[in-house]
Amino acid sequence: MSGSIERNLSALAETSDAPGSGMVKSLDPRAKILVTLMFVVAVTSFGKYEVSRLMPFALYPAAMAGLSGVSPGRVLKRTLIAAPFILLVGLFNPLFDRAPLLRIGPLVLTGGWMSFFSIIARSFLAVSAAVLLVFTTRFDSLCLGLERLGTPRVFVVQLLFLWRYIVLFMEEARRMVRAHTLRSWGNRPKISPKVFVSMTGTLLLRTLDRAGRVYRAMRARGFEGEIRMLRPLSFSPSRDGLFLLVWGGYFLVCRLVNLPEFLFRAAAGP
Amino acid sequence: MHMADALISPEVGGAMWAVTAGLVAWSAKKLKEDPDEGRIPLMGVLGAFIFAAQMINFSIPATGSSGHLGGGMILAALLGPYAAFLTLASVLVVQALFFADGGLLALGCNIFNMGFFSCFVAYPLIYRLIAGTGRNRNRILAASVLSSAAALQLGAFSVVLQTVASGISALPFGTFVLLMQPIHLAIGIVEGFVTAGVILFVLKARPEVLEAAGDRTRLRGVSLRTVLAGLAAAAVLTGGVLSWFASAYPDGLEWSIAKTTGSEELASPGEGIHSTLAGLQEKTAILPDYGFRAGSGDDGAAEASEEAAWPNPDMGTTVSGLAGGAMTLALAGLIGFALRRSAGARK
Amino acid sequence: MSHHYLEVRDLRYAYPDGTEALKGISFRLEHGEACALVGANGAGKSTMMLALTGLILPSGGSVDVGGTVLSKKTAGDVRRRIGFVFQDSEDQLFMPTVFDDVAFGPLNQGLSEPEVRKRVSEALAEVGAGHLEERPTYRLSGGEKRAAAIATVLAMLPDILILDEPGSGLDPYGRRLLVHMLRNFRHTRLIATHDLDLVLDVCPRTIVLHEGEVAADGPTDEIFRRPDLLERCRLEVPFRMQN
Repeated sequence: MSGSIERNLSALAETSDAPGSGMVKSLDPRAKILVTLMFVVAVTSFGKYEVSRLMPFALYPAAMAGLSGVSPGRVLKRTLIAAPFILLVGLFNPLFDRAPLLRIGPLVLTGGWMSFFSIIARSFLAVSAAVLLVFTTRFDSLCLGLERLGTPRVFVVQLLFLWRYIVLFMEEARRMVRAHTLRSWGNRPKISPKVFVSMTGTLLLRTLDRAGRVYRAMRARGFEGEIRMLRPLSFSPSRDGLFLLVWGGYFLVCRLVNLPEFLFRAAAGP
Repeated sequence: MHMADALISPEVGGAMWAVTAGLVAWSAKKLKEDPDEGRIPLMGVLGAFIFAAQMINFSIPATGSSGHLGGGMILAALLGPYAAFLTLASVLVVQALFFADGGLLALGCNIFNMGFFSCFVAYPLIYRLIAGTGRNRNRILAASVLSSAAALQLGAFSVVLQTVASGISALPFGTFVLLMQPIHLAIGIVEGFVTAGVILFVLKARPEVLEAAGDRTRLRGVSLRTVLAGLAAAAVLTGGVLSWFASAYPDGLEWSIAKTTGSEELASPGEGIHSTLAGLQEKTAILPDYGFRAGSGDDGAAEASEEAAWPNPDMGTTVSGLAGGAMTLALAGLIGFALRRSAGARK
Repeated sequence: MSHHYLEVRDLRYAYPDGTEALKGISFRLEHGEACALVGANGAGKSTMMLALTGLILPSGGSVDVGGTVLSKKTAGDVRRRIGFVFQDSEDQLFMPTVFDDVAFGPLNQGLSEPEVRKRVSEALAEVGAGHLEERPTYRLSGGEKRAAAIATVLAMLPDILILDEPGSGLDPYGRRLLVHMLRNFRHTRLIATHDLDLVLDVCPRTIVLHEGEVAADGPTDEIFRRPDLLERCRLEVPFRMQN
């Protein structure tokens, strides 16, 4: 994945401290992880032409954003990042799938277009759920939740170390790129492969040096092979269990029943 | 080369997650058997390094495009296959969570596509075979290019298989392959050159680094047999899950494949949820739609033409469904807004 | 409790390629003493400090930490008694949050949960960083990092503190806080620094290192009144004493 360092640094900074507040933040991370997974599985399990039946799922990100005070604009901005690639692949659908599927008055929608819209809907939903997870749960808390859910310790430790040092390295990379920019011509000077190799090589050498120093610091404080942490997690059946049940139940209902049809019928009434 | 949640079915996603989880657990076990205290900080900072390095774009001469470093090969050379796999996986997890790169369901696919082939296939079977842990420049160059190209080819092909098996994208297998493979061949070759460059750079400045890495990267247990076993397991698992789902819901998979090829005949509705809903939708669909027709004079003709344009009333979205969907969406938004206001008021 | 002394006798260290970094260093620090270690870059300050903590093993001579002589076997024990504050706090703060980092040492010492928590809050209080407990380590300012790094070491209740360039990268306010903190510590302190004015404020005694050897060892203001010595060792008179 590539992208401008600036953008990524600010993206990271934005979510790093879980700006969401209140009751959502205090939920056990395991509950939030499981609900997010259930959500994603439910959303992606629909047939390729489903569009309207995906809509009720929007309640989850909307409610979570509302309850935690995260601005929908921010969530939207994030979901749009991956959009170009998905749009690209999705646009092939109308090309290859031309069987007409739905008629609204004079407008005929082919299967291709229906599935295209379905792809867009899925993308927004699935990504927004992941984005909200990150906005409402700080990464280290998330990792510990993952560990209690069965993730191997060495992988969890790796995630924590990675998170700790990512910003530092990105800033270092940014400095190098800036230094290069300052010594080059043009508005957005391109980095040649040769320069890239020496930049990356230098970064790598510094990385190896830092690894040695960090290891020394760890040994100086008694490290003997095992990372010990004091981070109790408490799962409250009333709060977290309820959260799981309510949303899990809702997703199940939305998956099994065509809510939009019912809603419309109820509204259109007699 | 990232899979996205939007294009994946839970069957494929779940199967790949199972495989990835297995690989992670296995790698963790292997690392436990080979304790190396200094590895923990090394993996951590190397992960951060790869993450940052991936963000630096370089321009590929003669073309207008830009490239970036995947890093799998460098990690494998410095850490060995197991630690490199876990490091790459951790980077992908962070990317999926923080940068909405693909999605959570697709994460299992992504870790497999980008991690498995570079760390467990290309590195031990190609890179080590050609370059070993030595310092021969030409060997390192050849090894890097070949292993990067191979890893990306296999990874890209995996993406194609996973996408097509999911059935959400209508892109036919042939077209997709024709699009993915050549592009990734080019990317792989470029990445191979750049990887070789970085390795040689480090070698020149700090030759002892690769020697130390050599100790660390003794390939224990990663033989051809192991790799084939891993691939076989992945194939069996994926195939098994897919076929199980296909038999339970014959509509789902075959139907979407039929749709892709343009046939208008619906396979007979199978048992299970879909047929119940099919009946339900049929009953509810007919009445409300009359209200939507602009000129309601030609009810009969309109109905007939609607039938012709609507071979599959049990699949997809009806007009009333769309209207209902819009209402649902609005409702969801309102609820969210209301919650936000009340949360704000409570502060 | 007069056993928090540090005695170094003819300490030697050579790099793998043979270059001698330390060529026979000897000195003794008494319980509670605050001593500065000054010298040009490359004089051997950092190497010496690493050798004192057993993070690198000397090639000759002896290091006696309050009765425990440093060897491969006793290295762990020595590290329990010496709190080493690294020059780059980013190396020293490697856990996700400040709490995790400060708790790292005590947890490795095998303390119980309530004891660990007590150590953490006390250490953070001592450096005035109690409010930073839940903060992710990468989101600290330079001064906050330094304070947190010192806390990670204090939490192990060391007898002796060794600090490598503690003032580097700090703004004037941060530096002032640091000076205040260092003056109030009761530990035996060895502080390597280029900040000669800090030396004047904190350390009554100074050891001057030059090319791997002790060039001078005595009361701080006496040493700084010897311009020829300072010149030879590529040092300067502290700003405060100039003119």
